[in-house]
Amino acid sequence: MENRGSLWDLFQKRGLSRRSFLKTCVTVTGILGLSPAMLPEVVAAAENKALPVVIWLHGHECTGCDESFIRSASPLASDVVLNMISLEYSDTLAAAAGEPFEHHLKEVMQKYAGQYILAVEGGVSTGENGIHCMVGGRPFVTVLKEAAQGAAAIIEYGSCAAWGGIQAAKPNPTKSVAVSDVVSGKPIIKVPGCPPIPEVMTAVVMHYALFGQIPPLDSQHRPKQFFGNRIHDTCYRRPFFDAGMFVEQFDDAGAKAGWCLYKMGCRGPVAYNSCGNMRWWNGLSYPIQSGAPCIACGSNNFWDNDPFYVRLPNIPVPNTVADADKVGTIATGAAVAGVVVHGAMSVAQRNKRQAKEQEDSVRGPQA
Amino acid sequence: MKRIVVDPVTRIEGHLRVEIKVDETTGKVQDALSSGTAWRGIELIVKDRDPRDAWAFVQRICGVCTTVHALASLRAVEDALGIEIPKNANYIRNIMAASQNVHDHLVHFYHLHALDWVSPVEALKADPAATAALQNAVLEKYRLPLTGPMDFDFDAYPKDFPKATTLYFKAVQDKVKKIVESGQLGIFAGQWWDHPDYQLLPPEVHLMAVAHYLNILDRQRDVVVPHVIFGGKNPHPHYTVGGMPCSISMNDMNAPINSERLAAVDTAISMSLNLVNYFYLPDLLAIGEMYVKKGYVDGGGLAKERVLGYGDFPDESYSGISNGDFHQKLLLRSNGVVENFAKGLNEAVFHNLEGKDYADPSIISEGVEHSWYSYPEAGKDIHPWDGVTKPQFTGPKEGDKANWKFLDEEGKYSWLKTPKWRGKTAEVGPLARYIIIYTKVKKGVIQPTWAEKMVVDQIEAVSKVLGLPPEVWMPTMVGRTAVRGLETQLYAYISKYFFDKLVKNIRNGDTSVANTAKWEPSTWPKEAKGVGLHEAPRGALGHWVVIKDGKIANYQAVVPTTWNACPRDSKAGYGAYEASMIDTKVKIADKPIEVLKVIRSFDPCIACATHLYDAEGKQLGVIHTDPYFKG
Repeated sequence: MENRGSLWDLFQKRGLSRRSFLKTCVTVTGILGLSPAMLPEVVAAAENKALPVVIWLHGHECTGCDESFIRSASPLASDVVLNMISLEYSDTLAAAAGEPFEHHLKEVMQKYAGQYILAVEGGVSTGENGIHCMVGGRPFVTVLKEAAQGAAAIIEYGSCAAWGGIQAAKPNPTKSVAVSDVVSGKPIIKVPGCPPIPEVMTAVVMHYALFGQIPPLDSQHRPKQFFGNRIHDTCYRRPFFDAGMFVEQFDDAGAKAGWCLYKMGCRGPVAYNSCGNMRWWNGLSYPIQSGAPCIACGSNNFWDNDPFYVRLPNIPVPNTVADADKVGTIATGAAVAGVVVHGAMSVAQRNKRQAKEQEDSVRGPQA
Repeated sequence: MKRIVVDPVTRIEGHLRVEIKVDETTGKVQDALSSGTAWRGIELIVKDRDPRDAWAFVQRICGVCTTVHALASLRAVEDALGIEIPKNANYIRNIMAASQNVHDHLVHFYHLHALDWVSPVEALKADPAATAALQNAVLEKYRLPLTGPMDFDFDAYPKDFPKATTLYFKAVQDKVKKIVESGQLGIFAGQWWDHPDYQLLPPEVHLMAVAHYLNILDRQRDVVVPHVIFGGKNPHPHYTVGGMPCSISMNDMNAPINSERLAAVDTAISMSLNLVNYFYLPDLLAIGEMYVKKGYVDGGGLAKERVLGYGDFPDESYSGISNGDFHQKLLLRSNGVVENFAKGLNEAVFHNLEGKDYADPSIISEGVEHSWYSYPEAGKDIHPWDGVTKPQFTGPKEGDKANWKFLDEEGKYSWLKTPKWRGKTAEVGPLARYIIIYTKVKKGVIQPTWAEKMVVDQIEAVSKVLGLPPEVWMPTMVGRTAVRGLETQLYAYISKYFFDKLVKNIRNGDTSVANTAKWEPSTWPKEAKGVGLHEAPRGALGHWVVIKDGKIANYQAVVPTTWNACPRDSKAGYGAYEASMIDTKVKIADKPIEVLKVIRSFDPCIACATHLYDAEGKQLGVIHTDPYFKG
């Protein structure tokens, strides 16, 4: 622990070549969604910045987020755990149990007070003083507050830590809440999803490792890179929505042809996530591609936005607000006009976005 | 006698606490109690919701054995509403269930359990050349060359195969050395690497196993590719009541399933077969033989007396579970109870469990004598259809409600209920399934299917390697771990078998994946009850649902870890965790690695703590795995 070095230090220490170091930087640049022109800055950051110490706690959860984390393909789980972060506490992967491990952890928390990243998976049960989730004979909420004191930043992994999650769904028998509902005064990064996409989980940590600061966040504390777009806007089935071509029931002709699932209750129009552009397993699929309507598992209170198969009542489409039946009419009746209007809207969106990006770049990673 | 706390034990899922009393002179565990320390109330949350959504809610009970609760839920709702799913949907769900089991077992062995047996510190003492030779010897001696039916075998050569070269093992060893020297031990920090149990295996076995730990960590993700293809993601893939949402079309690349998608599934299944046949089984048998030959045949506990299973893998679609059709169609008929297996086949007794038995309160029930719940009538157990989930937290015996010292074994001490078969506790899991199938086949209760025959062949092959009869080596800690590996091989072939059936059925012109005839709630009866059964990685899983007026009126899930980790019952006896700990010897009370090992041999789905008491019940030492615990 004396030698908490940069990524490049670690590569040297472990006898890995400059070539493999640069290859890793290229991979990381891609994963972080940065342009290839950013590569020199990624390399510089990886050469100089220290590795983050990570402590990972579990509250009211199902361990699906942990499982998702180890599914990451780039970087691979072994590379993350052994070469990219210093994962000093994880009750899923750690070899140890018992007193020696406890001492090790206390040491880590003291030594890196104010520097370690606290990753939390799971909601925080607060009903009856938190007795519905006991860890070490004490309520998890107490354990969490202590660990949060020395954290440099807190990552809320998954919808349970970020919003309260499944146990917070009505009637919320254990009065579960999000981590940020009981911890304050620390930078919070919300990485919602049930679970989040594996490469989103690892990329958030990598960003911190490379740039020494948390990634740019939106107003809800979510990394903009991964939660800046609606699945609806990045979905490969979007053209069918615009054309009014919908799946009417499971396994009908539209389902076999991969048409839009909006009428089957798809939450894509309200879901901010990377399933549409990044997809799962490095582009292999995502629920919509596999024929299943999105349930917006990264959104706040999505469990209570049920039944999942009932379609959203109204959605904004170019130039109007209509339900899906009307979209069909508009699209078939005025297909050409629709395309033109849609195109004009895209230009307007792009201009707006460019202005916003200029604003962001002032306080971007290189600033 | 000594009393110690380990809280929570790592490398398991969830929150569990265990307390034990140990005689230091003999190492004998006198008493043990197991307590689930978290309650999320998901059964209350699904109440009054749309039964077609239930799979998504209850799937979140567990993200490690992801998908199993979704499957049990779909089966329960379909049983209630009388929905028969199309052939393709049945094959696809079976592929997903089998690949889930393969994944779960692989990760359990290499990443949750292996570090109880092997140590990176011991690996440093190994000779890399001798390790390469050992790898060759292990592959020659311990491979189990059994196969299932393979109609489409496109795997030209084993792409994933253990490297057996000196240079490779030297590279891995150098890496481990540098990690140790750097002081940044990360996940390897703080373990009792000096425990004498780590000396049971030669250093070369440790180095080989550490290399495989890393290999499998990077390959495990690909085992569940079928989930991502058919269900869109993993963990927590998507389903639909009545079948699968993944429509099949060979005319459209936009279709969820077409030739290219099937190729990805085929490649993943071939890779799984390689991982199991060339890594998992040889490693497991090599380590298992060394342990058994050094006399490690304890930790059996309840497995010796009573095991229970529900059966799974419907070969073809079935019309219902409550009506008995499900159990007529199974490829793997592990349904039933076997008592006294440890006394040998002659004395072992088999009891059947099928169809209407699951609706009978005198056969399946749950009690709350030692659980933090209250029932309307004290002392009267309840069938899951009438199940009541009313929390009644009474706190510990010593300490206060928010700062426990010791739990109260005389009173209530767990958030888990106590499930019972005919009023008795039973062990569930891979070991239970194998004991039941072996007993049924050997006693002539069933004519074996290819899968059941493979179970018997595997057991006999391992008995030969170990030089011990099944009733001696199976109901033990090592046996529990070994059978899980055998089952992984079987499940990899079951994945392949159902993939072949799926392809042939599509070739015959059937592309249907969903039965939507009863999709609309207007087609449902006013009231309906259903049961959904599944053999999950950790054992027999049952969901019981009551639907009224199109909504869920009651929902109860009796999960495998509830059967195994449940608190004791004055009439039913100890649960499987408690019984197995009582059947385990501890060498060093302050480093109770044997107790952690036997608990992990169940692949727990909850986190835990272990107390060891002295004769007067005085606390002598406390070991915490929770770094934030301040005693």
